[in-house]
Amino acid sequence: MTASFSESPRLGGTLVWYFTICKREVWLMARGVEPDRDDEFLALGRLIDKTTYNRDRHCIDFGNSKFDIMREEKGTLVVGEIKKSSRSIDAARLQLAHYLYELQKNGVEARGELLFPKEKKREEVLLSEELKTHLDQVYQEIIAITSLESPPCAKKCKYCRNCAYNELCWS
Amino acid sequence: MGKTLYVLSSGELKRKENTIIIEGLEGRKFIPVETTDEMLIFGEVDLNKRFLEFCTANKVMLHFFNHYGYYQGTFYPREHMNSGAVILAQAKHCLDDCRRLLIAKKFVTGAIENMKKALQYYSRRGNIELDSIIEKLTVFSNYAKEQIGISELMGIEGNARDCYYTAFDLITGGGSFSMKKRSRRPPQNRINALISFLNSMCYVTTLAQIYKTHIDPRIGFLHETNFRRFSLNLDIAEIFKPIIVDRLIFSLLNKKEIQAKHFGAQSGGGIFLSEKGRPIVLKAWEERLNSTIEHPRLKRNVSYRSLIRMEAYKIEKHILHDEEYQPFAMRW
Ligand code: SF4
Repeated sequence: MTASFSESPRLGGTLVWYFTICKREVWLMARGVEPDRDDEFLALGRLIDKTTYNRDRHCIDFGNSKFDIMREEKGTLVVGEIKKSSRSIDAARLQLAHYLYELQKNGVEARGELLFPKEKKREEVLLSEELKTHLDQVYQEIIAITSLESPPCAKKCKYCRNCAYNELCWS
Repeated sequence: MGKTLYVLSSGELKRKENTIIIEGLEGRKFIPVETTDEMLIFGEVDLNKRFLEFCTANKVMLHFFNHYGYYQGTFYPREHMNSGAVILAQAKHCLDDCRRLLIAKKFVTGAIENMKKALQYYSRRGNIELDSIIEKLTVFSNYAKEQIGISELMGIEGNARDCYYTAFDLITGGGSFSMKKRSRRPPQNRINALISFLNSMCYVTTLAQIYKTHIDPRIGFLHETNFRRFSLNLDIAEIFKPIIVDRLIFSLLNKKEIQAKHFGAQSGGGIFLSEKGRPIVLKAWEERLNSTIEHPRLKRNVSYRSLIRMEAYKIEKHILHDEEYQPFAMRW
């Protein structure tokens, strides 16, 4: 199979998120091998999405990114990302940083907020130079993964259990 | 995972807001669409385009059977799990003789392995002498591994199956369910009618599970690809027929749940499972599909229905050069 894309994959927040979770997931997602939407964990994610924070604007498309929430607070733009749990907080931080970076590239300065409605928790994310360098590396690696001819091998990790690819990987 | 609905009565199938309604002589039945994956329609039903659109939107598959219970076709809502990468890889594996043969052989050898498992189970349980048949199956399996063409391979799988069917009369004790010879269109006796009926259940079940993955059911490896028909479900079903269909048949007959009175004669010749027999078989079939076994890799119990879906995933992984396909082998 020829592995090259005629276009580089859309570097959306989801890919950045999966990058921290599992490299194999990045490949599968990028190739359109998306998990079954019946998956209950995905369904739960969508439900939380719909039922919480409904005072703000929802699901805003921006470039290759989709923001869960966007609002203005004392003249600064605040971008919010809703998560089911803080279990994958590193991934969530990176994903949000990616959004902030995208905005900055378009001349918009913003700060980020991670929201964990079920745990009634929030965390602030600011875009630092360090984070930006890190993200630039991540983009390169994502492109490298998605151009592999076959997906990186499945490796059991703590995310497998609740992963929507669980059946595919371990069948 | 949603449910499978068997529509045995006649009437009208309609959409009412977000619900499916079956309206017939026996009154109205409401079926929530969110929890329905597929409908097997045996009764004489009327439906309209609006209803089909509703099924598409909710990814509900409809399988139709005629008056005699023979499979007529499937309303397959357009694919929703689309991956260009998977389709390309699948087509490539189908067009490349070597790669195609490799997968096709696994379907044949996997099917023969499971036939052996089914026979071993009954030879232990019923103290029936089936060793010589089991031995012959081993020979066929080895022979299949050496073949260099699809048609030869198909021939061997046919021979293996004929040999395997000679065990049926020994297991069931013959009588009013004596098989003598496998006959298909139309089945010439009761056991053949039962096999045909349940095999088609296995084909549609497999089709519905393939739908949940990214592979295309029209591109088969063992069975010839004909883009107007589904063929990959026939391939995958080979693996499961001995363990799900045949063992269910033995159990239905040995427990006398299905008897001679549950069959009828077709006007043009041939025997079919009657309307009285159908619900008994379908209920047992559904129970069998939902029964679970422990999955060695997933480390949890999965139903036979899920096992079929996972077999489709394994094919998907094989064509993506992720993991070589190893057919499911029953452990006992
Ligand atoms: S099941 Fe595990 S290996 Fe597979 S994609 Fe999910 S996290 Fe990665």
